Amino acid sequence: MAGDMAPQTQAAPAATAAEEPVLVFDRVSLSFGPQRVLDEISFQLRRGDTKILLGEAGAGKSVLLKLALGLLRPSSGRVLVLGQEVGTLSEDALFEMRRKIGIAFQESALFDSLSVRDNVGFRMLEEGSESDDAIEATVRKVLSFVELEAAIEKMPVELSGGMQHRVSIARALATQPEIMLYDSPTGGLDPVTATTIVELIMKLRDQNKVTSLLVTHRLQDGFLLATHVWEDGHLAPAPPEATHTSFLLLRDRKIFFDGSAHDLQHHPDPYVRSFLD
Amino acid sequence: MPEVDAATTGVGDAMSGWLKGLLQTLQEFTEQSARAFRNIVARPFYWGDTFLQMNLIGVGSLPIVVLTGFFTGAVMALQLSATLSTYGQIGRTGQLVSLSLVRELGPVLTSLMVAGRNAAGMASELGSMVVTEQIDAMRALGTDPSKKLVTPRLLATVSMMFFLTVISDFCGMLGGFVYSTVVIGLDPTQYWYSAIQILGMDDVVQGLIKPLVFGLIVALVGCYYGMNARGGTQGVGRATTQSVVAASVLIIVSDFVVSRLLMGFGG
Repeated sequence: MAGDMAPQTQAAPAATAAEEPVLVFDRVSLSFGPQRVLDEISFQLRRGDTKILLGEAGAGKSVLLKLALGLLRPSSGRVLVLGQEVGTLSEDALFEMRRKIGIAFQESALFDSLSVRDNVGFRMLEEGSESDDAIEATVRKVLSFVELEAAIEKMPVELSGGMQHRVSIARALATQPEIMLYDSPTGGLDPVTATTIVELIMKLRDQNKVTSLLVTHRLQDGFLLATHVWEDGHLAPAPPEATHTSFLLLRDRKIFFDGSAHDLQHHPDPYVRSFLD
Repeated sequence: MPEVDAATTGVGDAMSGWLKGLLQTLQEFTEQSARAFRNIVARPFYWGDTFLQMNLIGVGSLPIVVLTGFFTGAVMALQLSATLSTYGQIGRTGQLVSLSLVRELGPVLTSLMVAGRNAAGMASELGSMVVTEQIDAMRALGTDPSKKLVTPRLLATVSMMFFLTVISDFCGMLGGFVYSTVVIGLDPTQYWYSAIQILGMDDVVQGLIKPLVFGLIVALVGCYYGMNARGGTQGVGRATTQSVVAASVLIIVSDFVVSRLLMGFGG
């Protein structure tokens, strides 16, 4: 489904650097006033890993993404992104750090007063460090990756939900992020469009080795990512170790399960069983 | 009397909660305002956004400001001439119209009109961006929303409020002139001569400082409520209403404070 022209990501890290986790949550808790939202959350992602976040509505999954992006600061604990502790960075330093992280929001969050071109090129236009031709070329390249080059002149309101999600992913990819965060990218989409989005995520994981944290309510999307790879322009079944994809289930503000697709599917706990069913 | 004690405790808790909420709002408002001011001298400068907002606020508000100013002047001439005629001082109509407009009514009415139109507009536009995560997206894409959205609106509102007030003052005097000459039959030269002669430098200064203060209030209050909107479309509606109410009340209160201060300085 997707085009052949994948955007380039950051240069491949050295072997030693590949061992270093790029995203670390170390006993992270978050409260809004008296209400505790996350409690002692700890996990880490190495370069190229994908973690799928599951949990009931209101379990704190989206909040976790915002913590990774520095949009929220933890009440206690540490969030380390590419070796930098997010909670200690100034707002200006956070803006620089976010250059290496892309996010696709739940509702796409496209700027409704800007065209697709300006949405995708937003960060480059704001920085003003590249020529108009260079920005246009990059915008077309990432739009081609999500197969939406023809929509470059359109406004967000003219796009379907699935197209908006793809533009949102293209916008996140424009500055070649090392980490991608996806907040329910297939929520509210029909199965065909949802599979298209999942294939995009898989392409980024397998071709560009982008580290990903994905929130989803659709278990089938998670299991598709955990059991398949993108190979020669097609989905292909693969063993779990080849997909570098694992699951994390939140319950009552805490991590209830952290492990592979196989472990999740065969977990004896009644809550996990009922969640999977 | 356990019931009375419980009721007293409940009232005390409610008061304490209200006070905490008020202090928190003040703290957030001050922080956001300070950030908007700091950004005036911080790169990058969003001149394009600022000129766009000047157009939306200045040119967009022109019709209501012209109409409000004109008919305020006309109705003042109508009311004042009736009173002045009983003392045989109808020739002073122009003086009273211009003095009232330049010192008080021009700045206050213009600001209330601009608050109704633009504080509401800012709160609803920014509030919609908040609830659809566009503000988070902007931060995620490395852009400071305060710098790109709040500071241009602040600069545009303050500068445009100044010119809108000048236009409103002129239109008010024109309204008074039309009524005085057409209905009352005053001599046109006498109207304009008395209207302009009565104005001293302190009146003009007072009339031109006030719109700058009111412009700050409209922009900062509108942006504050917009950027802090919560709870979906209902929250945006609530933020819009609150912004207009808060901006209007603050304009009236600050009008008294500024008038007192300026009259104090003027002796």
